[in-house]
Amino acid sequence: MKVIAIYNIKGGVGKTAAAVNLSYLASLDGANTLVWDLDPQGAASYYFRIKAKVKGGGQKLVEGKQGLEASIKGTDYESLDLLPADFSYRNMDFFVELAKKPGRHLNKLLKPLSGEYDYVFLDCPPSISSASESVFDAADVLLVPTIPTTLSLRSYKQIKNFFKQEHHDCMKILPFFAMVDMRKQMHRLIIANPPSFMSGVLDSYIPYASEVERMGINRAPLGNFAAHSRAAICYKSMWEEIKSHLYTTPQPWNNQ
Amino acid sequence: MMAAKQLDLVAPPDQGFSELLASFQNNFHVNVLAEKSNYRVFYDTFDWLLYNNGSALEAHAEGQSRRIYWRADKDSDLRIQLGLSHVPQLASDLAESEFRRQLQSVISVRELIPRVKIKIKRLPLVVLDKNKKVVVRISFDEYWYFPSKTRAGVVLDKRITIKPVKAYENAFNQVADFFNSMQLSEAQDNIMKLALAESAISATEYTTKLNLLLDAEMPAEQALKQILLRLLDIMQQNTAGSIRGRDTEFMHDYRVSIRKTRSALTQINKVLPQDIISKYNKFFSGLGKLTNPVRDLDVFQIKLQSYQSDLDKAAQEHLQPLRYYIAQTRAEAQKNFINTLKSAEYRQSIKQWREYLENPEPTGPPLENTSKAIHKLADELIWNMYQLALAEGNAITDETEPEALHELRKTCKKLRYLIEFFQSLYPANKIRELIQALKGLQDNLGEYNDLYVHRGILKDFIKKSSDTKANRACKRVIKFLEHRQTKTRRRFAKRFASFSSADIQQEYRDLFVDSHKGSA
Repeated sequence: MKVIAIYNIKGGVGKTAAAVNLSYLASLDGANTLVWDLDPQGAASYYFRIKAKVKGGGQKLVEGKQGLEASIKGTDYESLDLLPADFSYRNMDFFVELAKKPGRHLNKLLKPLSGEYDYVFLDCPPSISSASESVFDAADVLLVPTIPTTLSLRSYKQIKNFFKQEHHDCMKILPFFAMVDMRKQMHRLIIANPPSFMSGVLDSYIPYASEVERMGINRAPLGNFAAHSRAAICYKSMWEEIKSHLYTTPQPWNNQ
Repeated sequence: MMAAKQLDLVAPPDQGFSELLASFQNNFHVNVLAEKSNYRVFYDTFDWLLYNNGSALEAHAEGQSRRIYWRADKDSDLRIQLGLSHVPQLASDLAESEFRRQLQSVISVRELIPRVKIKIKRLPLVVLDKNKKVVVRISFDEYWYFPSKTRAGVVLDKRITIKPVKAYENAFNQVADFFNSMQLSEAQDNIMKLALAESAISATEYTTKLNLLLDAEMPAEQALKQILLRLLDIMQQNTAGSIRGRDTEFMHDYRVSIRKTRSALTQINKVLPQDIISKYNKFFSGLGKLTNPVRDLDVFQIKLQSYQSDLDKAAQEHLQPLRYYIAQTRAEAQKNFINTLKSAEYRQSIKQWREYLENPEPTGPPLENTSKAIHKLADELIWNMYQLALAEGNAITDETEPEALHELRKTCKKLRYLIEFFQSLYPANKIRELIQALKGLQDNLGEYNDLYVHRGILKDFIKKSSDTKANRACKRVIKFLEHRQTKTRRRFAKRFASFSSADIQQEYRDLFVDSHKGSA
């Protein structure tokens, strides 16, 4: 089971859109996929047309007694399930509880699911807190959507510094550019010459596109209603790139 | 609440899917999705190692997408192998992983080949609740098998799969109740089995064992032809794989059949005309010689791993030119062998050999043993060969030249083959006992011979190489091999003592001299 966290301390950078679209593509590969909507705003749950509610609330979930399994709901898409957000996350009780536990607690919560799921996508809320530690520890890959602007780059640098400071493995961080508007000179310049601290930034980037906004109207991943749109194609190539980071790509053999 | 489990049912044979769907739609709010076709290719080794172990390696194709699924054994689930878009030819083609370890433990060095291809015509549908949320998934599947390009496809099975959606167990139970009320039986995971039943293929068909049931009174010529035909079958079963060249076991099985053929031709004498024996002994001897260097170098490559373990890391590194030399020499030798197998002359000779063996008419004037009952001839041949092995073995002392051990190794091999050819004429438990005693001696002689051959390979390399570091490391390996050879030789006496013990000698006498004929 691979855990992919989508994370940024800034809000409105395209985290949920990435979580929804990438998890949808993972499920199209035939992989059993789970999205955990950790954001109290419950946007991912909304996109998947599932009520943002967890039985017993976030606190009970994080206590680990009932297990995550009981709160998981199937989406409209085959092999794609969701662990919804909950209103109680808003009070931050959930994250306070998570922070109280030792570093690997999220890992422990996810472990029973490893036989069932191939991928778990964590749609993280925009914050940097001691609970984030648990996310950093559990994730195999930390995807950081970053808008090519000065302030967003600064946020990314803060995340990286925090990672270094707390002795996390920086190789886990995979930044990518999101909401890219090539009409803007600054976006063009940053995409062409990313700053050195963004080494390892994915080649694929997500354009600023009205289809992505329409996900809220259709309440569905792009592949469901605009599969041939530019943004959908960009997510597709990004997913392939992420997989090449997750696996040692075997060579094609001559018997095929 | 316990999570509901997917339900796989066999569709009613007397009802079409459209009829079934219409009745289902009367009871549920359904969205019928586009019909699609996908393909499932079952991979296995030539000798069906996966199937016989309860494992499965399948490639599922739908449009451009291709998924690889793996089941480790009969108690495991079929799971997708992510990050893999093609089935590997050999387990060693894969990157280090749990999947590679599991696969290798079943197929070892054998090659994976596509064995059975199934087409699945699928009609998917989803059941919706009042909010139009998908609450159950259903698919109506028709499994088609095409035995060959020219034969029409057959429907192997029609199935209904009902998949629960998490947190909507009630809806699943309602759908399950609907289908269960039709008294449908649960489908087994047996599509491969159904396809095999439809084809002429048997997953247990391949064995290198002769498995002949000879009649004790059968004339020797008839029996010998049966033995040779069976060996020819094994050769031909392994020809295509030997030509593909990556799975060395094909060539190994092919080569053993050649050796047995030559042994049968020359040991079971005065049965077939001398011109036939000379002609085909020469032909198979030529083929066998082509396989010798390939097999020797294969064994050397495997053993080098342990041979070099006494060297320090740096010296092991220095052996790299040797490894290139081995790989290159082996590739050249294999190419020669493959080119011969692909030649028109080879195909012609094999065709003629089969025609000769399949011809029931005697092909020449009767010889001394042509019409002799096979059990009598078998008794004489095995007894004489055992006596020869005893004489050769008894003559070996600590001072005897290595060549004498080589001669004894060849005699033991001939004895082993004779016992295998004729084993159906004797009680199985007695034969097992004799083979066991013989095998112990053969292993010792085989190891001794391998060490001798491998020293020769290293010496050849040194002669051709100007790399002083590599040559120095090779000389150290040679020393190590000499030491091992001495130790192996010390064990010879003990192994020969078991083989020539009074009990075993008595067994040979009971079976082949004072034999109880027809007891098999």
